[in-house]
Formats: sequence, structure tokens, C-alpha cells
Amino acid sequence: MIAWRLFYNPITLSFYHELWLLLPLCAAVGIVYKTIRVTHLGHLARQVLFLMAYMLAGLVILAVALWLIHEYWP
Amino acid sequence: MSNHGKTSTPAPYVALLLAYLVPGAGHAYLGRRRRAVIIFVTISALFWSGVAVGGVLTVDSVQERWWFVAEMLTGVHGLVGWHRQRTAYEELRSAEGDGVEEKMQGRGIALVAPADTVARAYAGVAGLLNLMCMFDALMLSIMGRTGEPGPEEEQTPRKQKGTKT
Repeated sequence: MIAWRLFYNPITLSFYHELWLLLPLCAAVGIVYKTIRVTHLGHLARQVLFLMAYMLAGLVILAVALWLIHEYWP
Repeated sequence: MSNHGKTSTPAPYVALLLAYLVPGAGHAYLGRRRRAVIIFVTISALFWSGVAVGGVLTVDSVQERWWFVAEMLTGVHGLVGWHRQRTAYEELRSAEGDGVEEKMQGRGIALVAPADTVARAYAGVAGLLNLMCMFDALMLSIMGRTGEPGPEEEQTPRKQKGTKT
């Protein structure tokens, strides 16, 4: 048995959990983008939440559109 | 006027180099320290989360060259990840026995779906985000902007856009 080491051995993921890992990715993109864009850092949290909501809504709409094309396109 | 520093002009190439080497360092150089800390923490956490998911072969210069290019944009993080990957490959090559693929399986470091997608997306996107920060630091230093923007800056950019067109 090989001893499992963090940052050395990969974590076993299921395809179901993979989608949830989009959330931290969207959060990181939103935080970095808004950090360099906002004038006042006091507005950062609200702006990041709005951007995350836009990104997730866009991804959901795209996923639904692609699923509809895949299922119903002749 | 804004509270942008007027005492010394920042050197664009120094800002670019610092922003590449350590995420956020370019902004720290320009006096935007709080933003620098946020950028450093976020990009570092994203990159090392990717490595935590994917293991030592996340930064892979042999099999995944385009992701590798993106990961190298994280500066010191990418360089550390590359060093670890090279060390792991050298150990696999130097060990007696089967091929490299079999040795990866044997050591439990072979990266398979979906962990490879998640790991490389995290580490690669961290690099691309740092590229954006490098560009921002370069542009700010070329324009001579140091320190946090002043309270009136919120209105001025749109007016400036209008006058240019």
C-alpha cells in the first residue's frame, strides 16, 4: 500500500462532483478580475457576487442550450 | 486630483517582471498593496488547489504543453510545480523495471479524468489570471499611476472615453 501524500498523489473525483468545482473557479476569476477593475475595494464583494452570478447564469444557459441541441436536433 | 504618487515614476519592466515572478507583486510595487494581497492569495490558492487535486503531475511539460505554458504564467508557483514534476519524472526514469506509465500507476501519481481536467483548469486559469494582472501592472506603470485611485476617479474614466471618440 502506497502512502497517499497531498500535492503528490491526485485526489479521486467523481464526475458528479466535478461540476461543483466550477464554483471556486468562478469565484477566483471574479475576485482577481474585479480586484484590478474596481475603483474602491469596499465594493469588491458585491461586484464579485454579481460577476459570479453572471458567469454561472451564462454557463447554465449554455449548458441547457447545448443539451437541447444534443437531445432534439434532428 | 487623485492621490496617485508623483514622487517617482514606476519602471514598466520592473512592474511586469515583479508581477510575473510573484502574483500581485507588480501591484505592490505600484503602491496598491491591498489589491496585491488579494491577487496573491487568490492566484496562489487557485494554483495550489489544482496541484492538490492533480498531484505532482499537474504541471506537466511533457504531456500537456499548452496547459504547461498557462501554468508557467503563475511565476514562482509554476516554477516550483515544474521542478517537482521534473524530479518525479527523473525518479521514474531512474527506477529499474517497467515503463514510465506503469511506474506512475505503481506510485499512484498517474493523473486520470476527471481529476486531470479540474487540476489543469485550476492551475492554468491561475496562470491566465496572473497574465491579466501582469498586463494591468504594466499599463498602470506606463501611465505613471501609483497608489490607490482617488475618490473622484469613479466618474472620470467614462468622461475620458467620451472625449476620445
